[in-house]
Amino acid sequence: MSTSDSQQQTMIREAMKAIAERRPGRTKLVYDKTKRTIVAVAENAQVPRALNITADDADMFAIVTLSTQWLRNEWDRMIRDGILAIRLSAWDQGDAYSQCDLGAQPAPSIVDGAVMFDGSRIPSISPNVRVVLSKESAGDIAAPSTFVAPDGAVYRAQAWRSIDGREELAEVHLADVQPDLAMRRAGLLESKVLKECSVLCIGLGTGGAHAAIELAKCGLGHFFLVDPDRLSVGNVVRHPGGISQVGRLKVNVVRDLILEKNPDAKVSIYSVAATAENEAAIGELIDQVDIVLCGTDNRPSKLLINRLSIEANVVAVYGGAFRRAYGGQILRVRPRRSPCHQCFISAMPEQANDVEISSESAADAIAYSDRPEAVEPGLSLDVLPIANMFTKIALLELLKDRESSLNILQRDFDAPWYLWLNRPEPGTPYATLPPLSESSDEMTINRWYGVYFDRDVGCSACGDFLSVTAAAYGLDATSLKPPPTAVVRG
Amino acid sequence: MWTDAQRQRLALEHAVLQSEGFTQFSVYRNSSDDTYYANGTTNSSSGRQYRLWIRIPSGYPYARPPMYLTEPFPILAADGSRISGLGISHQMHTLTPSESGYIQICHWRDNRWHSDILLYKVFLKGLLWIEAYEQHLVTRRPLAEFVRTMSEAA
Repeated sequence: MSTSDSQQQTMIREAMKAIAERRPGRTKLVYDKTKRTIVAVAENAQVPRALNITADDADMFAIVTLSTQWLRNEWDRMIRDGILAIRLSAWDQGDAYSQCDLGAQPAPSIVDGAVMFDGSRIPSISPNVRVVLSKESAGDIAAPSTFVAPDGAVYRAQAWRSIDGREELAEVHLADVQPDLAMRRAGLLESKVLKECSVLCIGLGTGGAHAAIELAKCGLGHFFLVDPDRLSVGNVVRHPGGISQVGRLKVNVVRDLILEKNPDAKVSIYSVAATAENEAAIGELIDQVDIVLCGTDNRPSKLLINRLSIEANVVAVYGGAFRRAYGGQILRVRPRRSPCHQCFISAMPEQANDVEISSESAADAIAYSDRPEAVEPGLSLDVLPIANMFTKIALLELLKDRESSLNILQRDFDAPWYLWLNRPEPGTPYATLPPLSESSDEMTINRWYGVYFDRDVGCSACGDFLSVTAAAYGLDATSLKPPPTAVVRG
Repeated sequence: MWTDAQRQRLALEHAVLQSEGFTQFSVYRNSSDDTYYANGTTNSSSGRQYRLWIRIPSGYPYARPPMYLTEPFPILAADGSRISGLGISHQMHTLTPSESGYIQICHWRDNRWHSDILLYKVFLKGLLWIEAYEQHLVTRRPLAEFVRTMSEAA
């Protein structure tokens, strides 16, 4: 490369950076119609037969995103072989290429690529995208195209993509994924703490799936997902999974969405229902986690999870919407320290029975053959506030005994049960709520209410049911006789 | 295999039945296969005799115990048809009948059942069903007009 070429390359780089960052620079890019190539010239230079290149033009450069961590891990091989093969998701007709390994959901179109050193021989079968690393003596190491190798050497990355037999320049972004993700949470959320935490998410409907994905965004490290269902077309208007995922098991859909948000998360999936038949398996999962999130839509599963969580002394959080999502509720159960789900049923039977009928199975569970029940889901818009609170309560519980700036909120969220109303639903006790704009201290829609109630000392799940019930009927629990043995006739 | 807690619970159930005046019903253990059931013969307010039989499932009290009306057999609707033929019926407040054709009285649906509910309350619902059934025979109106369903009565 001649000196003038080198100067030109530097000027082009500066001009491109200036354009990309939308700031005035000392140089500008033009298309020299005489040379039929792009050149960089001084900002005030007048070039005859040249076309000024604008920021919009520059945006046509494709962006190639690679993982810095991956490149570091592969650096020894890169030094040895001088080339690394990569697979790239090609998005939007080649507008962007991202390393397939970055996430769980690559593009439908995958192309071959290679990372190589400047001056290395191009392979005989030329890859679609070549990322070329040029050594630099100094430079802006914070620039997205800069790579600092494990040996401290600094490289600048540029890419060329093959389009219709010709090569076109592309911009390279080297992404330090985990630090970049953590940086966005810095000072608010202790990612390192949450990385070690584990959650069992049972029920991956709209609320459960949303909560799992939100926890992934928070940096939670270990997920165990349980749901037997597949994503249906009808789910798509509410569920985070999209129409192209229809037919897939929800555990698979949500696992991929979690990994798209937190690629380092460990996700284990179980396509089973939380039923008595699977009690042992569910119990084993509960034993392994820090917290259980129950987003199922039926009472038997909730009570099973309640009982197993109490036995394992693991905190469980239950989230759900009322019918047609006119509101919703969150119950947090700290075993034997706060009311459990069974206590809740005894204390607030109306609220415990008010559930959204969001699936065929939920409708079938209460239908009669001569009186079918319709599936009546609420709007995603109305479910998401509940799902957000579901996540927040779980998050605070995970951070409770750990160092976290979020613990300032523990005093605000110390009730066992939370109520949310989306609308003053006719036929409910909330039908006559005053308008939101007219109320300052009365109950209204769109506010969370923490409700305190006591544990039931005679609860059959977390209390001394036998003694308390016996006493209530004037019996002595210590002297109960076994039921009589059946007399077999003739 | 029953746990100690389950056996204690069933002992309590039996004792509560006796102490609450449901002495026509008892919990029984079948020693030949170590299963439990609860049953008894009772009279309606009109003096007719009925037999209620509750199967205690292995998951009791977390699993719902189904209750069947075993006598008289078969149970006929006012039009003379077998009620068991209706299956899960809102009109007659029944769930899936037994293999032998005994009608299953809808006391709590699975989605409403919980382990705080005592068997005497299940039998109480059985007694109410019998009274509603006799009203149905007299009026020929659906039994559902005399007792609400679980989804209506939270």
